Amino acid sequence: MRAPGDGRQGIMAGDVLLAVEGVSLAFGGVKAITDVSFDIRKGEIRAIIGPNGAGKTSMLNVINGFYHPQQGRITFKGEARKRMRPYVAASQGIARTFQNVALFKGMSTLDNIMAGRTLKMNKGFFWQCLRYGPAMREEIEHRKFVEEIIDFLEIQAIRKTPVGKLPYGLQKRVELGRALAMEPELLLLDEPMAGMNLEEKADMSRFILEVSAQYGTTIALIEHDMGVVMDLSDRVVVLEYGRKIADGTPAEVSADQSVIDAYLGVPH
Amino acid sequence: MADTAARREDTFPKLLARNAALRGDRAAMRHKHLGIWQTWTWKEVDGIVRAYAHGLLQLGLRRGETIAIVGSNRPKLYWSMLAAQCIGAIPVPVYADAVAEEMAYVLEHAQVKLAAVEVQEQVDKILSISDRLPALEGLLYDEERGLRDYDHARLHAIDGIVEDGRKALAPVPAARAALDAAIAEGKGADVSIILYTSGTTGRSKGVVLSAERSIAAAADTVVFDRLDETDEVLAYLPLAWVGDHYLNFAQGLVAGFCMSCPESPETVQQDLREIGPTFYFAPPRVYESLLTRVMIRMEDAGLLKRKMFHAFIDVAKRYGEKILNGESVPLSGRLLYALGELLVYGPLKNVLGFSRIRVGYTAGEAIGPELFSFYRSLGLNLKQLYGQTEAFLYVTAQPDGQIRADTVGPLAPNVEVKITEAGEVLFKSPGMFLGYFRDEERTAETMTSDGWVKTGDAGFFETGTGHLKIIDRAKDVGRLATGALFPPKYVENKLKFFPNVKEVVAFGDGRDFVTCFVNIDITAVGNWAERNNVSYGSYQELAAHPQVYEMIASHVEEVNRSLAAEPMMGGAQIKRFLILHKELDADDGELTRTQKVRRGFIAERYLPLIDALYDGATEADISTEVTFEDGRKGVISARVKIRDCRTWPVSAETGATEKAA
Amino acid sequence: MDILYKILIDPFVQMGAAPDLLVQTVWEGLVSGVLYALIALGFVLIFKASGVFNFAQGIMVVFAGLTLVGLHEMGLPAPIALLVTLGVMFFIAVAVERVVLRPLVNQPDIILFMATFGITYLLIGFGELIFGGNPKRMITEELYLPSGAIEWKAFGGFVQFQKIDVAAAVIAALMIAVLAFFFQKTRIGRALRAVADSHKAALSVGISLNQIWVIVWFTAGIVALVTGIMWGARSDVSFALQVIALKALPVLILGGFTSVPGAIVGGLIIGIGEKIGEFYWGPLVGGGIESWLAYFIALGFLLFRPQGLFGEKIIERI
Repeated sequence: MRAPGDGRQGIMAGDVLLAVEGVSLAFGGVKAITDVSFDIRKGEIRAIIGPNGAGKTSMLNVINGFYHPQQGRITFKGEARKRMRPYVAASQGIARTFQNVALFKGMSTLDNIMAGRTLKMNKGFFWQCLRYGPAMREEIEHRKFVEEIIDFLEIQAIRKTPVGKLPYGLQKRVELGRALAMEPELLLLDEPMAGMNLEEKADMSRFILEVSAQYGTTIALIEHDMGVVMDLSDRVVVLEYGRKIADGTPAEVSADQSVIDAYLGVPH
Repeated sequence: MADTAARREDTFPKLLARNAALRGDRAAMRHKHLGIWQTWTWKEVDGIVRAYAHGLLQLGLRRGETIAIVGSNRPKLYWSMLAAQCIGAIPVPVYADAVAEEMAYVLEHAQVKLAAVEVQEQVDKILSISDRLPALEGLLYDEERGLRDYDHARLHAIDGIVEDGRKALAPVPAARAALDAAIAEGKGADVSIILYTSGTTGRSKGVVLSAERSIAAAADTVVFDRLDETDEVLAYLPLAWVGDHYLNFAQGLVAGFCMSCPESPETVQQDLREIGPTFYFAPPRVYESLLTRVMIRMEDAGLLKRKMFHAFIDVAKRYGEKILNGESVPLSGRLLYALGELLVYGPLKNVLGFSRIRVGYTAGEAIGPELFSFYRSLGLNLKQLYGQTEAFLYVTAQPDGQIRADTVGPLAPNVEVKITEAGEVLFKSPGMFLGYFRDEERTAETMTSDGWVKTGDAGFFETGTGHLKIIDRAKDVGRLATGALFPPKYVENKLKFFPNVKEVVAFGDGRDFVTCFVNIDITAVGNWAERNNVSYGSYQELAAHPQVYEMIASHVEEVNRSLAAEPMMGGAQIKRFLILHKELDADDGELTRTQKVRRGFIAERYLPLIDALYDGATEADISTEVTFEDGRKGVISARVKIRDCRTWPVSAETGATEKAA
Repeated sequence: MDILYKILIDPFVQMGAAPDLLVQTVWEGLVSGVLYALIALGFVLIFKASGVFNFAQGIMVVFAGLTLVGLHEMGLPAPIALLVTLGVMFFIAVAVERVVLRPLVNQPDIILFMATFGITYLLIGFGELIFGGNPKRMITEELYLPSGAIEWKAFGGFVQFQKIDVAAAVIAALMIAVLAFFFQKTRIGRALRAVADSHKAALSVGISLNQIWVIVWFTAGIVALVTGIMWGARSDVSFALQVIALKALPVLILGGFTSVPGAIVGGLIIGIGEKIGEFYWGPLVGGGIESWLAYFIALGFLLFRPQGLFGEKIIERI
């Protein structure tokens, strides 16, 4: 696999890749996010945690353009924007997975991951119809890339299986594969380990760490399992009722009294 | 004759060179990578192995030293074995899923200098025990993933070693000549490989095999089953196991056929279909789980498909085995069977990857007669063999035309067997081992002074046919307090032949009656539960379900009835049983790596349950420590119910009823 | 007893007695079935990609045919007129996406359905305004489509094939093959399937819904144009034709709303069923079965297999 996003934009490891400034989002009168600011640095694993209903998923939806915040702005790769379409976010290098898995259930694992290559394919429509010449070469090249992802995620056995028939844990893995196929600069993972057993969680953690270490992909993830968050992430931002209550390293955050009150100490 | 030709090459590297010269452009090995089957010809393999061998020399591996091979079936690991053998070093394959402790013992005992492994996981495992391995100088790996940031002082990519060897070898004729000399220097009497047995009891033992004996044994069975260079195998069983080393590696080199390696352990089923092997081996449990899956799929199929399937399976039951055995069958039967082949058996074999199998074997455990004849009736030439690591596999084998479910067949070529008064089976065979590595005491225990090897199995020859029947481990055959014979495995197997039962552990030695633990088969029983609207959340819950108990009780009573029909075994009827709250697991030490029950360990671990089986209690509490796959430990506890079962009066005479079981 | 005989036995006796007539009837049914299938295909394409039941599909057929003939009447040579008509269909696709779909995204299905009503009346009005309301003759020869008939002597009689019908069947089969290839093997096809499967997931991998909608509506437009030409060649091009869109409904119920093969098989079954029913059983009730038999079959399907022959099983999670 090639290194996704090799900092062509002149953003070096450690620089701010994405900054969220004063973002507020409301649905009708209900406030989902209130004046939240934080940043994600190039190459880090950034966790967003908080109790249920804290606005974590809304935050991801704002970042990749599913929701449009009423206030605040988002700077990605040095470019500020107020609203964005998911299509544009994807083409700028933001890939994501979903809390409840959004896959193309009728399509095979291979086709699902190939779909992640959509934006990377640009040979003309005409050639594609002929399946000849440059388009064929392109297809083979992308297939090779996708096969490497399949190998990486150890899902060779389900290559041709329609994903709707797969158990949940594997669907999550396929979804990660599809996101990786986009060679993203920023990978958003919404509860990548929800509903998994211990072994599947260990596998998924390993994949996330390897993606980060090997390709330098910046990762922002939402996760409920505190053990996982502490193990994986470089920095953690904590939300509660749509507000940011803490931001720092896992050690700092877990020592923070407001966090303990809001989240860690309270069984849920 | 093929064997005289093979005899001249008395080591595996010499066989490799012969194959490269004789059939250089034929495929020697395949491996599916990134979705595509990569193929290497004999000539290519020869080139790689030679370069690799030189690379190993440069790494300091010397004649007589050992190199561990750890991982799944990968070409580079097989090449590691051959490359080591080229320079007279000894490969020691190790089970990849062995826990660190087991692995540490083997690597330490074998005094390995290098270890060739597949992936990061094994590198980590070996590094974690490296303080116990003073002799270990380096690790070679197949896949780089995850290893980029490791200290590469002692860590080398196999690709890199091969490349280095190639570069060093190409411009220097003297180096090539030296390598040729090293290969020629290898003698048939040299140690070819050390295979560690997984150890049903106690520590693993290193079975030392010599090159000439290994090749002699393989040459015999290649003739026996008429294998040649056009055959195909899929190497999917653990490469540290004698079966894989013998059936695929040794026979492949002797006969010159192509060995394919699966893409990953999970894809074996698909890979089988794509490769279509002509020679195939699987332990009974594989055949069993395949059948269970076929049956489940058929339950879910449309009405027409299901009807057709069952109708033609009945046809196969009636005529299939007879046709395979060359017995006379009415024309109408032949026609029906041909139609069945077209509509059902052919497609079914295709799905299972069995379409091209000419010779199929099973061994290791007793196989259920129904299961055995199911596959044979489909036209699959499934046979049984009996073997041991110490024999370099074959002791007995069923030749075509003499195939039965209840024996392991007559003696394999050039094998001698004698049965001691206590009933134990002893053998002498062409491939028999030299001794246990660095363990003279246990070598002496196993090998008699006049050269017989004790198998530890009790058995007898059937009068008239010369077929060997194995009852149980010799030391396991016990007696009840009443003096009645108690062969635990014999009893267990009868119960295990029911698809709903996965594992059984029977107790009774020195007791008043026989009792047992049962593990249900989660696939079969789970499917039953689904169809009968029985809801359950876990294995534990399903195992404790009253209806499941009812079902198992009826199976046990069936077994009792069949035991009662056999005068020798009637005393061993099962009076009480319980269904365990967890599946027996190799990670918890309850099964061996080859999935055999470790009786003693289980008896110790579940002592409170055994006590309850004999003190008349109707339920008992148990809590056990379990190891999760990531190595973490936890405790599960449960209250297990105990059931009494009906037994039958023992009949004095055996009769036709015996067959009904 | 007599009535039972007439229903259960007599028609089959007739079929056996005059096999040439049976073949002729099946052929006629097949040809109209192909056309039903084409219309249903237009529905399925749009339904799969945007979840909209496009009531305007029928009028798109008429409008496409009308534009083609109208342009020719205005003096354009037939091939040029064909190209311009394709352009018009593309324009419609873009306009629908811009004006209707994009503003109404995430609205309930019923709103979108109503919007297609709007499109229908807009197209009717527009068509009448420009091309007039009178039926027109399809420019069959100008498009190099064959005319006349082939007679095939067989079964002790003869069967007649209109050349235009043969052409229609061949062209329809070709188009379906091209569409199938396009869906299965190209990147855009994969994107179309992706959108049909999950909008959310498609968006997240950077598939532009807007672009896909344009492609789908344009494809449906091309299918409509082909249908318009073929149907127009058999009768005339008139606004009355749009009622054939209603015939697509039973086809869809039979084949399933989301299945392309379903649309084809459903179309053929309805087409053949109608003709056979009309010819052999029609006289029993004084004819006219053809106009309602399709709905009758569909009703049966709704009772026993609501997802259709090929449709996805509808399992609502509660």
